[in-house]
Amino acid sequence: MEEVKVGVFLSDCGKQLAEILDFKALTEHVKKVSGVALVVRGNEFWRGEGLKTIVDAIKSKKINRLVVAETLPKLSEVKIVKAAEEAGLNPYLVEVIDLKDHCAWPHRDAPLEATEKAKAMLSAAIERAKLLEPLEKLEFPAVKSVLVIGGGIAGMQAAEDLADLGFEVHLVEKAPFLGGLAARAGRFFPTDDCAICIQSPASDVKAITHTSRKCVYRSGFSEIPNLNILTNSKVVKVEGVPGNYKVTVEKKPRYVDESKCVRCDLCTTVCPVEVPDEYNAKLKTRKAIYINTPPVHPPVYVIDESACKFQECAKCVEICPTKAVKLNQKTEKLTLNVGGIIVATGFKEYDPSVIKEYHYGEYPDVITNLELARMIDGFGPTNGAIIKPSDRKPAKRIVFIQCVGSRDRRWNPWCSSICCMISLKNAMLIKSAYPDTDITICYIDIRTTGREHEYYYEKAREMGIKFVKGRPTEISHDPDGNILIVDVEDAILRRFFELEADLVVLATAMVPSEDTKELAEMLGIELDQDGFFKEYNAKLRPTETKIRGIYLCGGATFPKDAPTSSLHAHSAAVKTAKFLSTGKIIKDQRTAFVNEEYCGDCEFCPVICPFNAITLVPKGEDHFVAQVSDLKCEGCGICVGTCPVNAIELRHSRPNQMEAQMNALLSVNGTSKPLILAITCSECGHTAVDSSGMAMMQYPANVRVMKVPCTGILQVHQFLQAFKAGAQGVMVVGCKTDGCHYEVGSQKAQKKVDLAKVLLKEYGIEPERLEMFHMVFIEGDKFAEAAQMMTERIEKLGPLQLM
Amino acid sequence: MKHEKEQKTSATSFSDEIRSQLGGETIALCYQCGTCASSCPVAKTTERYNPRDIIRLSLLGEKQEVLTSGAIWLCSSCYNCQERCPQKVEIADVIYALRNIAIKEGHIPNIYSEFATGLMNEGRIVPISKFVEKKRPEYGLPPLRPAGLDTLKKILAATGFDKIQWKKEGTP
Ligand code: SF4
Ligand code: SF4
Ligand code: SF4
Ligand code: SF4
Repeated sequence: MEEVKVGVFLSDCGKQLAEILDFKALTEHVKKVSGVALVVRGNEFWRGEGLKTIVDAIKSKKINRLVVAETLPKLSEVKIVKAAEEAGLNPYLVEVIDLKDHCAWPHRDAPLEATEKAKAMLSAAIERAKLLEPLEKLEFPAVKSVLVIGGGIAGMQAAEDLADLGFEVHLVEKAPFLGGLAARAGRFFPTDDCAICIQSPASDVKAITHTSRKCVYRSGFSEIPNLNILTNSKVVKVEGVPGNYKVTVEKKPRYVDESKCVRCDLCTTVCPVEVPDEYNAKLKTRKAIYINTPPVHPPVYVIDESACKFQECAKCVEICPTKAVKLNQKTEKLTLNVGGIIVATGFKEYDPSVIKEYHYGEYPDVITNLELARMIDGFGPTNGAIIKPSDRKPAKRIVFIQCVGSRDRRWNPWCSSICCMISLKNAMLIKSAYPDTDITICYIDIRTTGREHEYYYEKAREMGIKFVKGRPTEISHDPDGNILIVDVEDAILRRFFELEADLVVLATAMVPSEDTKELAEMLGIELDQDGFFKEYNAKLRPTETKIRGIYLCGGATFPKDAPTSSLHAHSAAVKTAKFLSTGKIIKDQRTAFVNEEYCGDCEFCPVICPFNAITLVPKGEDHFVAQVSDLKCEGCGICVGTCPVNAIELRHSRPNQMEAQMNALLSVNGTSKPLILAITCSECGHTAVDSSGMAMMQYPANVRVMKVPCTGILQVHQFLQAFKAGAQGVMVVGCKTDGCHYEVGSQKAQKKVDLAKVLLKEYGIEPERLEMFHMVFIEGDKFAEAAQMMTERIEKLGPLQLM
Repeated sequence: MKHEKEQKTSATSFSDEIRSQLGGETIALCYQCGTCASSCPVAKTTERYNPRDIIRLSLLGEKQEVLTSGAIWLCSSCYNCQERCPQKVEIADVIYALRNIAIKEGHIPNIYSEFATGLMNEGRIVPISKFVEKKRPEYGLPPLRPAGLDTLKKILAATGFDKIQWKKEGTP
């Protein structure tokens, strides 16, 4: 191996730092460290002349390890590393530390002690740099093809975007027709236009104007090049890795040849089977061969397997003029090769029959908003008439009840977010069509937060729709006159009303679609506490999951209105396109690797890895070893912290590198206070230290900071190692337990700290010497306080007695 | 989880006080939907009592009004409200918690003082009348045995029941 030659570059930040730190002493100190070939002091090194000095040192002085003390290292490192790489140095051999925010600023009241700490920090960086190994950039192929699961409003939009961008797209819809829940809703707020209206695809040659939007059934959606629509189909298996998935899809028989059916409707005239039409709220019947509603897409009939008499009847086969009916069609299995997956499986209406006091399912005139929407739809079962299902007479008095099964801790605690607007919309549509209808909406809070939504509420009041602030306790039925009675308190008047109604409409909760759990397991992604698909970071990474290559959109993550679903779909499409656009995935090699000899096949790491990067592969007879996918591994090191036999290591944070760094940090004290090692994660923990320095919060210089990728990497023995190396106390500083950048890392670390405390006691070490803290970047004050508190605590405990 | 809270002023201190009582824990979840009120048979017969009002007043810190108006004693403990509250507020139990606070602070309706005194002195809330004693054998019932006052007194002492100032004040 080539001799290690470390170049150390000390920025005094335009001499500011020199007012606190003794740079002459630092230079002298660094010079004496073995392996250091060059020490340069300057004003700044991350741009201009300073950066040139570094490049020259690499090129002409054959410097092969770089230690740079620079301000704002999280920014300057990017430039330094890039320049080093261009000069021919492997970028993973560069170590950048922050003498300003981590030393001079927070210890400005104690310059001598700060200088001693700076020495330790420099030694630690040098020792670590000496042990660093060059790492490669990895490249993986990415198939420029996407699977979109769910053909509702979001799925169709995402599929259209990606197909227009030139990707091959497979749109898989479970139902026989596209449109999802939205299509059933008939009309949408706040524009009151049709739910099945979509933007015209760019490929539609006669609709190339900017303004064009069309009904799905006439939009040319199915003619978009590169778009493969699979209705009546279900994803049953997903294998492979991001960029390269093998997906098995089961396509159920339609029993009608899609390429032949001309929608002449002759078959329905002969089909003898009549079943209640679920799609139309059972307000009418349909035949065994059917379409949902006239403007469907694809415009092709389908046979309901559970109702059709098949060969016993076969009347449709006979009458079909194009020989489209194929009663012997079988389920097909298709295999798709895709690079990315978009989940757009939407949400569904909650079944309110569990809420006994509202008697849904028992009283026919108690219906849901979606059922009402079928009546409002001109194509619906009543041709737009609003009737009482029980006797089919016109409904003249209608009461809406909001928050049915939503905001209800007995059923679904969340606010379903769109039901207020849905009820307002339906009430207004009825009121404009039948102005003499008496409509009352019983509500807890009316929530109209979207653009134009409050005007909508305003209009509803102007139209004479009544509002009662109260959630009814019960609906009862008076057989005399067949009316419903809604028992409610108006909390504003503090008065009880028994509202008489022909029809009661429940604004039912919106809940995750069926099969959500199954699909999440298949894809290895998570659900949130309410059972919806979980976005990787609800704040700034919507539509992403923790697995790159798998994206979410529409109501699959939470109930959404149409505009929000479309926005969400565009976002998922852009992210998928970004991921696949170059046809390759570039990634670095700071990944975990397994020492197969030691791996005891305990299955801990495959289970704990938040990114499903580890699998057990057979090795010889009846023995398995863990194997890490470099593509999936995000480099958190949580597996390292979990492996009971140290068989797994993380490149760039290997045990010897961490140990050398730790020893050096604790080698010099230079203060009268007990040495404390603060091990921080590289995310919130380390940046909280930054922010305490930026704000010049003072804490004692005996606190030494060591950065690890995620606190999840830590093992119990490392705490003991720290005590042996001279620490009198150890702080572990990680993200909030529910805000860890690697999902579970800081939780795992907390558990290990708790466990280590028990062990420390056994060894006769006071457990209070070890503590974990959770914070975010802006909580610099919390770090400074914790450092101060720990120092005082350890001082009180007195010197550590190691057995 | 343990919450160490200093005593705060008015609104929070009263709802904290209720929440620290057995049965009162869930009061703050109320979002005033009125389901309890429309479920309540008492509220529908008298304007003097409305469970939603009681909860609102309590959360706003109207301690005196809640404890002295006499309303809290009107709940019939049918638990209808509690069954249906969408926020799982244990309303009937909250009312019990409020009654316990009221008693501790001496806001005790006369009838309850009388019950308590009867219990402590005779071992019975309702005294046995000559009429009852005569009627029992007619229905084949054995004569009532003495109430076991010694044991009862021990129990009342252990629970602190006997230390309550039952006679302090009579409220409606
Ligand atoms: S299946 Fe045949 S008969 Fe039925 S609508 Fe299609 S073309 Fe007409
Ligand atoms: S380092 Fe993290 S992402 Fe990589 S294999 Fe280990 S646990 Fe999984
Ligand atoms: S039912 Fe529950 S949430 Fe509604 S007003 Fe009563 S206590 Fe409050
Ligand atoms: S328990 Fe009390 S407050 Fe609740 S409904 Fe019954 S009487 Fe009313």
